[in-house]
Amino acid sequence: MMDRRPDRLGMNSLLLIAALSLAPLVPRLPAWIVLVCAGCLLWRFAVENRAWPGPGRVLRLGLTLVVVAAVLEYYGTLLGRDAGSALLASLLALKFLEVRKLRDCMVALFLCYLLLLAIFLYSQSPAIALYSAVVVVLSMATLVRLNHSTGTDLRYALGLASTLSLKAVPLMLIMFMLFPRIPGTLWGFPGERDGDVTGMSEVMEPGSVRHLSRSYAPVFRVEFDGPVPARSQMYWRALVLWWTDGRRWERGVTSSALDPGLSFARQGAPIKYTVTLEPSRKPWLPALDLPIVAPRGTRTRPGYLLEHRRVSRERQRYTLVSYTRYRTDALDRVERELALQLPAQLSLRVRALARALRRESTDDLGVARAAMDYFRQQPFFYTLEPPLLGDDPVDEFLFSTRRGFCGYFAAAFVTLMRVAGIPSRIVQGYLGGEYNPAGDYWIVRQADAHAWAEVWLPSRGWVRMDPTAAVAPERVELGIDAVRELTLRGFELGQLSSDAVRRLIELGWFAGAWRTMRLYWDLANLQWHRSVLGYDQQRQRHLLRSLRLPELSWRGLLLTLALVLAAAMLLLAVTTRRARRADPVQASYRAFCRKLGRAGIQRHPAEGALAFAARTVAARPDLKASVDSVTALYLRIRYGGLSGVDPVQRLRQQVARFRPRPARQCA
Amino acid sequence: MARPPSAEVVLGRRQLYMLPTGYGLVFALVLMVLLLVAINYDNALVYALTFWLAAIGIVSMLSTHRNLLGLRLSEGPCSPVFAGDNASFQLRLNNSHGPRRLRVSIEQAKRQVSCVDLRAGEQTCIRLERGSDRRGYLAPPPVVLSTRFPLGLLYAWSRRVALQQRCLVYPRPASSAPLPVTAEARGVPDRGLHPEGEDFLGLREFRRGDSPRHVSWKAMARGRGMLIKQFGGGYRASVWLEWEALTGMATEERLGQLCRWVLDCERAGLQYGLRVPNKTLAPANGEEHRHRCLAALALFPG
Repeated sequence: MMDRRPDRLGMNSLLLIAALSLAPLVPRLPAWIVLVCAGCLLWRFAVENRAWPGPGRVLRLGLTLVVVAAVLEYYGTLLGRDAGSALLASLLALKFLEVRKLRDCMVALFLCYLLLLAIFLYSQSPAIALYSAVVVVLSMATLVRLNHSTGTDLRYALGLASTLSLKAVPLMLIMFMLFPRIPGTLWGFPGERDGDVTGMSEVMEPGSVRHLSRSYAPVFRVEFDGPVPARSQMYWRALVLWWTDGRRWERGVTSSALDPGLSFARQGAPIKYTVTLEPSRKPWLPALDLPIVAPRGTRTRPGYLLEHRRVSRERQRYTLVSYTRYRTDALDRVERELALQLPAQLSLRVRALARALRRESTDDLGVARAAMDYFRQQPFFYTLEPPLLGDDPVDEFLFSTRRGFCGYFAAAFVTLMRVAGIPSRIVQGYLGGEYNPAGDYWIVRQADAHAWAEVWLPSRGWVRMDPTAAVAPERVELGIDAVRELTLRGFELGQLSSDAVRRLIELGWFAGAWRTMRLYWDLANLQWHRSVLGYDQQRQRHLLRSLRLPELSWRGLLLTLALVLAAAMLLLAVTTRRARRADPVQASYRAFCRKLGRAGIQRHPAEGALAFAARTVAARPDLKASVDSVTALYLRIRYGGLSGVDPVQRLRQQVARFRPRPARQCA
Repeated sequence: MARPPSAEVVLGRRQLYMLPTGYGLVFALVLMVLLLVAINYDNALVYALTFWLAAIGIVSMLSTHRNLLGLRLSEGPCSPVFAGDNASFQLRLNNSHGPRRLRVSIEQAKRQVSCVDLRAGEQTCIRLERGSDRRGYLAPPPVVLSTRFPLGLLYAWSRRVALQQRCLVYPRPASSAPLPVTAEARGVPDRGLHPEGEDFLGLREFRRGDSPRHVSWKAMARGRGMLIKQFGGGYRASVWLEWEALTGMATEERLGQLCRWVLDCERAGLQYGLRVPNKTLAPANGEEHRHRCLAALALFPG
């Protein structure tokens, strides 16, 4: 029974489960593993359904060794998420080369559960959760089918599996909510190549990047508590770039020596908001202009920036307070040096232009405005696909190509300001975002990445200057999507009135419905994260407190478990004791049998009292009188309807007096 | 430990046990791995998967238990056999209350005898065989009901069930020996009907099982349908089979010889009586008389 061979239907459903568990991992696995998996599954399918020959033992063993060695060679380890899931996937597939008995099938099915685990380490989206739930229900149906190949048709197995799974849900919820969560990890995360989480680069190199990110992946979501700033004022600062060699812009080594304080004079009303940051390998935490305090788990960086103390692979939520109107303090020496740093070589044309701008006005603000006007009046174009630039990108951009996106303008602007003697720097971050009316929050995506400039003015401190806004106000006012839409339709930016642009980019019925659906889906994702994925120790405490339950700890849980177990055992002991005591006749007769057993005559478990007595008397004629008497009395009480205390007493006394000598002495 | 036998056994909570199967243990191991990973990565969905699988396992415990709980076992008819032959018992499984039961395995001496599916309200009979070596009453073999339904992760089984049912085992017939000539073999007038009778006593309707030899073909040819000729009367030999006639033999041998004679007399259509200590059966003939004689021999004390 244990080693029954499952039938074809059972095997095919097992193959289906394996394929379903492997499918979400396909984009994460190297192509050769995918090929191995597909090959093995198809071969088993052909063996089962097309009567193909199965692989021999040598081939199986050889293939397994080769694949394990290949995984080890490819990843350098067999542990960790990536190597582990690759190994699991290939082992599952190879298992299918030899599934023959029920045992192999069960092992394969359990491997599928481990694959689901691997999937969750990559993605925890609601879609994946739903998908996996379906796989789990199907796997239960497969279990039913594998174990009972007759009498359970597929429909019945599916129905039974669904019922079981549904009935298990409340229990799962209780365990999920009450199982104690411990912060931190048991053994840490082995290093992984995280290819999928891209983010803003720490280096800006205008002229070397052909395309701006088109990724619609959300970077973070924001809920405002109170007044919401205009979209054109939503400058999310993430990174400040000080140092340049003419092509590249970087943070610069010495910038770490700067004062990382957050002191500035606040003006206007504070803006309170909560940021839910998607997992990223980057440490920075985008904040609206200037935040006033660093939340727990973060620290401040020079340039009024916030950074995580620890790069997290989880989503994180922070509540921040920012001021969009402010006045910063005076520059110190190092800061001024950094903010005026220029590349070694700078073309004469650029220097001449900067001098010309300097002559426009006596104060620095006037010079900066003149530079902005220069961008606005000269034929500069905002484009998402600018031409590549050569060795001196600033010169080339300012005087020949004049086409670029935010980074091009910011780099050129800051270079001009520095030549003109005005401290300035580039800020990278995000501009704007998409409002989600379904959940009343804003979604900021990778595509919303932006770069702008900040100049330091003696009277006002650091002031934001966005040269992109001078060239393409649509980018600032309507967002990157509008820019894309207009470019797609062949309109020049900065030429149409904003109302006309709004009319142009108004969505059609279908596109509008699609967008609404997308926004609701995003809301569902956010709620999913808040209530399911974000369920941690803190939320557990909160829940327990609201249920008026005592707080759980490992020790408390173990204690409770021990108490429950002890109570259960006590109850069991009491009930069985009572049951035994409830039948003194049986107890006396058992004692009688035990005594005979010691004398060398064992009663077989299925032997009746009469047969046993007959056998005993045959073996030991000397005991005939007492054995017959006890047996007769026992049978009369038990089956003959003899009742009352007296006969039972008599039986007990007779059994007590019964002392058979061992057989050896007798012989 | 077998419970005292009774005519009907209903599997209750106290008769059922459950343990995980080997697969169940492996499943638990997988759950442990999942839980450790969930704790390490603090991954909510891995937690959920772990707890869901565990909960499904726990819920399936109820299903496994319920697959046996409340099942009624009762005895079916059981015809006597001769010692040395296999006694065949009928075990009736009745699913009068309760859900559909699937893959209930019936084991006799750790060997699966049968595996049945029962819909609600359905019942089925299972034949149990047990070798008989001695005359007297033979109890049915104790059976154990077990199931791995639904997921194969758990194994539930019942206590050993012994029913009150008994099979009568006749003595083993001795090899052929001449009938006791010393027995008084007088001719006695034979009353009633018997096929070997000499006088024609009339016709009756054909019943199933009648021998075609007695069909009245003449009557049939006249179009009166199928009728059976009945005979009776005449004188027939009557034999006394006596315990005392068999001196110098052990009890069992004597019983075996008497058994053989009963069978021979019955086959020969003789009137025979049986005389054993404390019991005398007057001469007669027929299936019922044969059974009475053989039962007397089977249950002969000693």
